Amino acid sequence: MLAATKVDVAVFGASAVIVLAGAIGVVISANPVHAALSLVMTLFGVAVLFVAQEAHFLAAVQVIVYAGAIVVLFLFVIMLLGVDRRENVAREELRGQRPIAFLLGIATIAEFVLLTRGTSWVTGAESVVGPASGPGANVETLARSLFTRYLLAFEITSVLLVIAVVGAVVLARRPPPERPEEPEPLAVPERLHTPQLDDAAPVPATEVPAP
Amino acid sequence: MHAVLAAAQTLKAPDLDYFALAPEIVLTAVLVGILLLDVFVDETRKYLVTQVAGLGLLVSLVPVVALAANGADRSMLGGAYVVDNFALLVKALFLATGYVVLLMSSDYIGEGDYYEGEYSFLLLSSLLGMMVMGSSRDLITIFVALELLSIPAYLLAGWRKRDLRSNEACLKYYLLGVLASAVMLYGMSLIFGATGSTVLRTIGREVGGSVGEEPIVTLGIFFIVVGFAFKVSAVPFHFWAPDTYEGAPTPVTAFLSVASKAAGFVALLQLVYIGFFGREEVWGPLFWVLAALTMTVGNLVALRQTNVVRMLAYSSVAQAGYILVPFAVAGSNPAANATAQTAALVYLLIYAAMNLGAFAIVMAVARKTRSAEISSYGGLFTYAPGLTLLMSVFLFSLAGIPPLAGWFAKLYIFESALDAGTAAAVTLAVVAGLNAVIALFYYSAVAKEMWMRPVPDGDTTPIPVPPALAAALAFTAIVVVAVGVYPQAFARLGDLAQLTLR
Amino acid sequence: MYSKREAVGSVTLAGDPLFGGGVDGAVVLIVLLKTGVAFAALMVSVLFMVWFERKVVSDMQNRIGPNRAGPWGTLQTLADGIKLFFKEDLLPEQADRRIFRLAPYLSIVPAFLAFAVVPLGGVITIAGRETRLQLADPPVGILFLLAMSSVAVYGVMLAGWSSGSKYPLLGSVRASAQMVSYEAALGLSMAAVVLVTGSLLTSDIVSEQSRSIVDWNLFRLGFLPFGIFLVAATAELNRPPFDLVEAEQELVGGFHTEYSSLRFALFFLAEFMSTVTMSAVMVTLFLGGPSGPGPDRGFPGAFLPVFWFLAKLMIFLFIYVWLRATLPRLRYDQLMDLGWKRLIPLSLFWLLVLAAMILDRRYGFAVFGAGILLGLLLLRAVQVGQSATDDAAGAAPAVREAG
Repeated sequence: MLAATKVDVAVFGASAVIVLAGAIGVVISANPVHAALSLVMTLFGVAVLFVAQEAHFLAAVQVIVYAGAIVVLFLFVIMLLGVDRRENVAREELRGQRPIAFLLGIATIAEFVLLTRGTSWVTGAESVVGPASGPGANVETLARSLFTRYLLAFEITSVLLVIAVVGAVVLARRPPPERPEEPEPLAVPERLHTPQLDDAAPVPATEVPAP
Repeated sequence: MHAVLAAAQTLKAPDLDYFALAPEIVLTAVLVGILLLDVFVDETRKYLVTQVAGLGLLVSLVPVVALAANGADRSMLGGAYVVDNFALLVKALFLATGYVVLLMSSDYIGEGDYYEGEYSFLLLSSLLGMMVMGSSRDLITIFVALELLSIPAYLLAGWRKRDLRSNEACLKYYLLGVLASAVMLYGMSLIFGATGSTVLRTIGREVGGSVGEEPIVTLGIFFIVVGFAFKVSAVPFHFWAPDTYEGAPTPVTAFLSVASKAAGFVALLQLVYIGFFGREEVWGPLFWVLAALTMTVGNLVALRQTNVVRMLAYSSVAQAGYILVPFAVAGSNPAANATAQTAALVYLLIYAAMNLGAFAIVMAVARKTRSAEISSYGGLFTYAPGLTLLMSVFLFSLAGIPPLAGWFAKLYIFESALDAGTAAAVTLAVVAGLNAVIALFYYSAVAKEMWMRPVPDGDTTPIPVPPALAAALAFTAIVVVAVGVYPQAFARLGDLAQLTLR
Repeated sequence: MYSKREAVGSVTLAGDPLFGGGVDGAVVLIVLLKTGVAFAALMVSVLFMVWFERKVVSDMQNRIGPNRAGPWGTLQTLADGIKLFFKEDLLPEQADRRIFRLAPYLSIVPAFLAFAVVPLGGVITIAGRETRLQLADPPVGILFLLAMSSVAVYGVMLAGWSSGSKYPLLGSVRASAQMVSYEAALGLSMAAVVLVTGSLLTSDIVSEQSRSIVDWNLFRLGFLPFGIFLVAATAELNRPPFDLVEAEQELVGGFHTEYSSLRFALFFLAEFMSTVTMSAVMVTLFLGGPSGPGPDRGFPGAFLPVFWFLAKLMIFLFIYVWLRATLPRLRYDQLMDLGWKRLIPLSLFWLLVLAAMILDRRYGFAVFGAGILLGLLLLRAVQVGQSATDDAAGAAPAVREAG
């Protein structure tokens, strides 16, 4: 089961190329929208890798959460704020950081090469590699460990989501106006004044949820 | 439908010890309660929410005390959640800190036209994360607890929404905090990959064995420690701290510099003493460098500050350096290990009291002067002798002057370094000693301003101190003085709450 | 009971009987054939849907509608398509070329992929091999549907942005907010289906409902999830009354204002394709898929299940047209209110009730009571919030009416 077939190798190769191409695209794209789209490409490649590992649930969640919600919100913000202009890559904001970053990058690569030359990679006491088995396989196994072993972490995460909602409301809520008799600038219906890139915000931010 | 039911019956319910979880459950109930209460009380009576929140904190202290009286160590979820003396001690510390911060903030927030209900909610939810952190003995629980305590803290730092400085504070804290979380999570995944477990005790056994020799474990430990170094604002990962402390509302600053930092240290204590204990040669030198740098840089920069909040911010960076000293020397021998743990814990307890006290004074003074410049403290003694006296107590305690509590805390730090006895440990003790001398300069500069300089604007009307703030001051002052006089109490607590990898 | 779970588990691993005996050339050919047929079927259904919509709407509006090309105008769509094909393909100067070209495909691919997991009938035999009338049956079928519906937003969003023009941008910003918002309600009502079925496989969901008509999820879940799904799906599809994305009076044509020729045709195709796919999904989730209204007879033969499936599909296609002909477009704040303040709390609440009912009837009623109390509490909270925002709006009440 675990022996790699030619199909496995082909799938891995193809998705690895997609993942890497996307990752490189994120870094070198001058336009934020292109960078975000490259990120989507990487996420899809990783999802395919998950499927190849028979982690179907993880793959689906990867697409729903990351590609379907998070990057959509990225794009949403990029479009709303109108920061979708090309960046001038030639200009250096912080002098001398690029050579340092370059050196550090080289050092990191060297470090990883050295690490891979270490005797053995997978050293775990209990194996965590391989597809989940049993009735319902993936999803059910996952659910079981979520609701037994990791119950507490799971519940805390739900509290965390409530806090995130409260926080989002606090950040987005406008304070009550000091003098209510003074009409707000919003008194003109949005569609009556010329829409510009900057005021393409028909919704108050509270109504744009974090997923 | 029946299929689901059948599956549900075969699912073995996890073993939950509700008594052990009682403090967290009570606090969660209070959280939900104040969130609902906030909706239903009208704008003029929002102070009710704060009052209920304060009461709720005290009520959650009851099960903590009951658990302590019961005395048995409780462990559940396969060792991921443990309630032992250590957990109970830090939970009590967090609850007390939270209560004092709530006392400090009730007037500040109420008068400042902020969202009062949500403030209490977020403060309590951050505390909930800290409580969970105290019992987490599992990488996943630690990470979730860390996020639970950090995310409300990010929001609180930006509570003055229309103030640019507060926005800056929030943004810097948030971005660097998230970066730290990412680094830490990467380290955790490496450790999990190498050891095949997320439970600290199992990790401890694996890391102590042959797996610990793998370079990947070294890398994992390094990343995790660096991640927490951000949280405890250790140099060179401290850049966010001064700006965040200055921009955030003062009670929030007090909270961040005490409770948030303590939570980071609590997590480090658990990780180092249980999870990574077998790899002393990795984290020992790492902590040594962090401790030495943090103390020195924090103190040297604090010398140059003219703003008292910024000064306290750098001072708290420096104090974090002192707390890191026991970590650096803990691995030398068993005796040093025990003293080091006690030293770190005792320092955390005492530091909480004296730092909160200092911030309470800053808030009280700012009520009149509307300024946090050190020059605005000129002649404080002439019109607010009580506050001046208390401030001097807190400052000299922070500096480590006997017979105040801070002196005792520093003594324990030195003792742990000398117990270790290695050349590195002694060098570190010398560095710490030099730093204590440097620190005396800037603490006494404020004292000199208060006692000897004239009042800058000649306005000598007394400062009105609201009862809640006065209570916070009294509580912290009593702890600082009492522990200084009778230090054995805290030492005993620290000795009881030892963490070991068995 | 547990043995049934085992059976489900083994189906998960084995999947389609086609793959039972390993994969060889014939299997690959059959899969390719199925893919081709599914795609062709979807295309034909789009041609039909466009004609059907125009015809029904014109009937409802007392007009004649298309009646020139072919019998009863049935070939009108084809004629329109050919016309679009020969039109000039414009690329606006301000456009981001690559993304402008990419966007229509991003719109059309998810619609087709989602259709792939819908079971259209029972097991048939091709060239001596048994296979299901379903293109793919991944173990996480429902999640796959959700994933595709969440990816569908990219086409609209990028089309609007890459046009480099303000009306399309506004349209796409509206679209993405709307689709992200309603996806939550959509997912929650799907969760209700998964809860009672206990499986994420679309084939399991269909076979659970095949015993008799009372086992259809429409009845078993108590109508509410179905209603929520219908509303949320309409919003996901950006169809009237939720078509703010392309509100002509406000935004010219919405996100595809700048598109012409074949690329416009692709958007058009994608929109109707999604409509058909979404209707098929609804048939699968709530109306028993290809099972007939009678008692369970399995899925005999190739014809009858497909007939039932298409018949049910027609109901939804008609509902969509009917909605379009009847309801006026919502205002944007109404749209968001409906999604966030009505549908999501309601579906959450109903999910809780269903879970309690599955566990134990008594709990079910207890939860129901507690839920009503909590619901009132929340309603009050919403009212308080609403009055606060109204106060904040202060002197500008006119906006609310004028908008």
